[in-house]
Amino acid sequence: MEGALAIGAGLAVAVGALGGGIGQGIAGGKCFESIARQPEIAVQVRTLLFITLAFIETLTIYGLLIAFMLVGKIG
Amino acid sequence: MIFGASYEPLFHIGPVPVYDHVVAQWLVMIILAVVCILATRNMQVVPRGLQNFFEWVVEWCYNFFGGALGNEHAAKRYTPLLATFFLFILTSNYFGLIPGAGTIHGFVPPTSDWNITATLATIVFFAVIIVGFREQGSHYLAHFVSPYWPFLPMNILEQFARPLSLTLRLFGNIFGHEMIVAFLVLMAPFLVPMPLQALGVLTGLIQALVFTILATSYLADVVGEGH
Repeated sequence: MEGALAIGAGLAVAVGALGGGIGQGIAGGKCFESIARQPEIAVQVRTLLFITLAFIETLTIYGLLIAFMLVGKIG
Repeated sequence: MIFGASYEPLFHIGPVPVYDHVVAQWLVMIILAVVCILATRNMQVVPRGLQNFFEWVVEWCYNFFGGALGNEHAAKRYTPLLATFFLFILTSNYFGLIPGAGTIHGFVPPTSDWNITATLATIVFFAVIIVGFREQGSHYLAHFVSPYWPFLPMNILEQFARPLSLTLRLFGNIFGHEMIVAFLVLMAPFLVPMPLQALGVLTGLIQALVFTILATSYLADVVGEGH
């Protein structure tokens, strides 16, 4: 039972970070593309990028919270 | 550990236990109040020092959040609420950067407890409903059946999903950051946690901004087109 909890805690972060990582990579890459095309809007794009990254990160954070709860159950 | 139930309360007021995070929240409120009183105590026409800084902060909040609300009337009315959210959450997040935070009682970022982020999200939840009725009257109820009446359950569900995601986003980020720093301090206490603490400065600002921007967009939905 404890082993399953530990595996679950690891998977919660790993799978959560996988999706979030891909999403953040796409968002960041598109941001650089748009700044390279049009450097004068860099400030606005960067602000939007940070907010977008925070949204994507939230989903990974949900996984992290679940992992903390599972690790707390192992005790 | 995780939902703040297992650690000991600092002290009791009557039958009510008082935890670290609540004391930290009081400290944040006192700091904000004292700094604001100091800034506005001896106001000059040509601002200097603290007053100058706070005028810049207020103007920035008005332009940023008020601009997102859409119209002048709503910006004047609701920017104070949003700016309060922003300053309170920002100060709370930065509370974890004080040396000794986490080990000394009463020095934890209040936003790393889900009770406090849930309180903030609940304020947003009721603010949206109250602002909706205040600005649009009974016409606000039409929002719930837009675009068609079969969407009624989904619109109601959305209203309740908002505070949940607001709560968990802020709490998860700050709490996760605190836990990771704690693990690193446990493993390598010297210099190694420093880059993560520096990242915490960025995280704290961005999370305060994200919470407030979301609250702004929820309010902007219901303030209508102006008069």
